Amino acid sequence: MSDTRARLTKCFSSVFPGLSPGDVSSASVETVEVWDSVSTITLLTVIEEEFGIQFDMDALERLTSYNAIFEYLTQDASVSRGGSL
Amino acid sequence: MKLIEALEELRQELPLHSPGLGIDLACGITPLHFVTFLRAHLRKLFPGQEVLVRTGIYGDLAGNVERLGDERAATIVVILEWQDLDPRLGIRRLGGWRPSQLPDILQTVRLQTGRLADALDRIARENTVAVSLPTLPIPPAAFTPGWQASAFESGLREAVAALSARLAALTGVRTISSQRLERISPPGSRLDVKSELNTGFPYTLAHADALADLTARILKDPLPKKGLITDLDDTLWKGILGEVGIDGIAWDLDHHAQRHGLYQQLLASLAEAGTLVAIASKNDPALVEEAFERASLVLPRQRIFPAEVNWGPKSASVSRILKAWNVGADSVVFVDDSPLDLAEVKQAHPEIECRLFSRDDDQAAYRLLEELRDLFGKQLITADDDIRLSSLRAAYSAAEIKLSRGDSPEQFLQDAGGKLTVNFSRNPADPRALELINKTNQFNLNGKRHTEGSWKQYFSDPAAFLLLASYADKFGPLGKIAVMAGRKNGTTVSIDHWVMSCRAFSRRIEHGLLLHLFEKSGAREADFDFSVTPRNGPIRDFFAGLLEAVPAERFTISRRQFDGKRSTVYFEIQESANE
Repeated sequence: MSDTRARLTKCFSSVFPGLSPGDVSSASVETVEVWDSVSTITLLTVIEEEFGIQFDMDALERLTSYNAIFEYLTQDASVSRGGSL
Repeated sequence: MKLIEALEELRQELPLHSPGLGIDLACGITPLHFVTFLRAHLRKLFPGQEVLVRTGIYGDLAGNVERLGDERAATIVVILEWQDLDPRLGIRRLGGWRPSQLPDILQTVRLQTGRLADALDRIARENTVAVSLPTLPIPPAAFTPGWQASAFESGLREAVAALSARLAALTGVRTISSQRLERISPPGSRLDVKSELNTGFPYTLAHADALADLTARILKDPLPKKGLITDLDDTLWKGILGEVGIDGIAWDLDHHAQRHGLYQQLLASLAEAGTLVAIASKNDPALVEEAFERASLVLPRQRIFPAEVNWGPKSASVSRILKAWNVGADSVVFVDDSPLDLAEVKQAHPEIECRLFSRDDDQAAYRLLEELRDLFGKQLITADDDIRLSSLRAAYSAAEIKLSRGDSPEQFLQDAGGKLTVNFSRNPADPRALELINKTNQFNLNGKRHTEGSWKQYFSDPAAFLLLASYADKFGPLGKIAVMAGRKNGTTVSIDHWVMSCRAFSRRIEHGLLLHLFEKSGAREADFDFSVTPRNGPIRDFFAGLLEAVPAERFTISRRQFDGKRSTVYFEIQESANE
């Protein structure tokens, strides 16, 4: 598992402690019952803190799954920081 | 603490049936991560307790406060920000910052602070309330440049200062120190504009963490240390007395020794507030007594007891002081300029808090003063604080008299002329009762502690009673020294708490209290919620004498059983009216 994936998994596990490790990578708003607006804010804040980034507010609407956030971290955020995470 | 660490803390599993700590949070902001940090800090300070935080309606702080406290005794946290006093002082509303509007904003703020003070005055009578006054910067509403304090800003701060002063007079309210908060959370790094605009949560994570940390501490209200043992040379004063002589030691600006004077000043303040202060010094005793005759000493000699001045190891002096005080090492701080002596004392008394007094670093010496204030700080000073030292001295001289005359214990107690005064009430307002419950270790029924909130809640049971006892004899008053709390059910009296100060040992006060309880209540048996703790040997021994066996857990003793085993008491027992 890459470092980015491991750190992102840790963020998800902290915010959604009921998620089994195997389910984290497929987590999304549709599959995680407790993923509501408050946990979205908590999750994104934890990720911002963990990766030292600021999410672009316009991107928030599509950050509704583990994979979407991973993609954002490895592409959009990486590009905006001028390097790789 | 990072947010992810707070979440991890909250993931720790608690034992089944863990007690819960309920907090009512009143604020006008969206509390979001503040709640997470607050729960995490409280979980650290109250291990094994589940922390439940209830919140109110967004944007209505005053309403949220007014709705609190109607139902039951509780622990309440109030987080106030400028926008709660007038929404135009926030950044989510566009009501205007025009110069013509500023007087109206100021007037609204004054009205709102008055409304809040009234509401807090009401709920603080039955609840413990932690209050945070505005922590965020005032927005650029005034027409003056930011580096100049405007009349508008001064007016806002005046209104909040008046609120703060009014809250300080309420015993149930504890306000977070803005000075301490500024140290751990710089004002310029507190507002998170993006978060406030998008979610209504205005704090940076670091500020939310710092504010939650202080809020949790203020709710925990740790027990103050009981005694401070200090070295003399290069600690209480500058210079080695044996080398420079009485006139060579100093504690003033002229001799570049002001830090020692400040240290004396703090010790004098602590002593007057009830902290025990003793000396452990390797010195010539006669020379030290002579040095204490110098008129300019800030710490008077009569505030010090005992003074262990000798050439032996400091750890042995500390042992004798602990014995004279009859307190555990974990209640004591030892201050010395010698790392070697500190290490020697720490090795012999691992539970003692050892602190280095810096001989040559004024900044470090000042930090020590602040730390000592934290370790010994208390909510209020009671009459018992004032008599603690004199009663210890009296007990010490009584023991010496007994030793010198060779009196039997019976004769000594008969001659003491003791008087035990008991007060039965259902009013837990006397803070001394809770103080004794929370700081007594040795004569303690079960080691159970209370917060102010849970203590008040305990007495919401109509069957609950509180017994607070004071004692005095010809050697002087001991003050309020024992607390019993329980419930009467038919012919059984159930005791949930029973503590007695170690200053009151060896007078058979425990026998007198139980005797009076049986007589007053008419109960045929007493049920004790007893459990063994690492340090409650004295109460265990007392029960073992009555039961002819050491109890392991909750037990019941009949009046007849007690009468057959109790010791004779020689003091008079009288009841005082409810205070």
